[in-house]
Amino acid sequence: MQPGDAYPGTMSAADPDRGSASEPGRGFEELTLPHLKSLYRLAIRLTGSATSAEDLVQETYLKALQAFSGLRDPGRARPWLFQILSRLVTDRNRADRREVPIEDTHELDRFSLYDRIADEDPFPYSNRLHDDFLAQFQDEDVRRALLGLPEVYRVPLVLVYAEEMSYRELAEVLGCPLGTVMSRLYRGRKALERELWECARKRGLVKTWIP
Amino acid sequence: MGVRPQARAGEDMDTMSRLSCERAVRQFFAYLDRALSGEPLEALEAHLEACLDCCDKLQFSRQLDAFVKGRLGEAPLPEGVEARIRREIAAAQAGTSGSGE
Repeated sequence: MQPGDAYPGTMSAADPDRGSASEPGRGFEELTLPHLKSLYRLAIRLTGSATSAEDLVQETYLKALQAFSGLRDPGRARPWLFQILSRLVTDRNRADRREVPIEDTHELDRFSLYDRIADEDPFPYSNRLHDDFLAQFQDEDVRRALLGLPEVYRVPLVLVYAEEMSYRELAEVLGCPLGTVMSRLYRGRKALERELWECARKRGLVKTWIP
Repeated sequence: MGVRPQARAGEDMDTMSRLSCERAVRQFFAYLDRALSGEPLEALEAHLEACLDCCDKLQFSRQLDAFVKGRLGEAPLPEGVEARIRREIAAAQAGTSGSGE
């Protein structure tokens, strides 16, 4: 989706006679507000800030209201709302030029935190080397590592980790085939492993630099 | 980590199914997310039966997933947000911006 593209269903927003499954007004709140907590949870994990998350959720609801008459299946309100929010994040990052370019995917595909830890062996006397490595990280380190990921990986990863979304739902939210969902989740996890390694390196826990 | 008294990676690929370790590793996350089925699932499970190294790596991936999920923390909806959203919806439906609130 490009900036300025219609959000899901937006094209029919101004046409109340279009015969959609949903109904403006009271129906909108009934269908969408039960998902407010999940949307906020997703927003805060994608933005890292309560203020940004509140603004993002509010914008999501206003976009959704505009597009509501295009929601053909009220039972799909949840992925529909998540899709709107995810696309807003994508558009914002594009507009702010904050998005990290996708690195060399070949290198990323081959990165293995498991192997790195085993090779460098930061706890030579440990018989629980990998456990001890992970135990060095605080909650904030993990959240920061997630926020450091390119949005193309961060969105599906957060949806899986925080919302336990199925691949089929993810394909719907992201608007891409299942194969692309699998590929993004694989690379997203690899990118997260790299972020954690980099965090450990900055702390002096490990020394090997990743180019 | 996982313990399987079988061959190490690369030791005897004939007994480890046709799936290479590299291809097996690429399937780990879909496996953990329960998104594999049919022949790909069978091939991966056959590989894991024979490859201790991949079992250990899979166990670490599982551990890392649980670790990340456990550290995302709670994100309760702050007080007042729902009321604000309701006001904005009402204002938008009434044809006003509602931004003066």
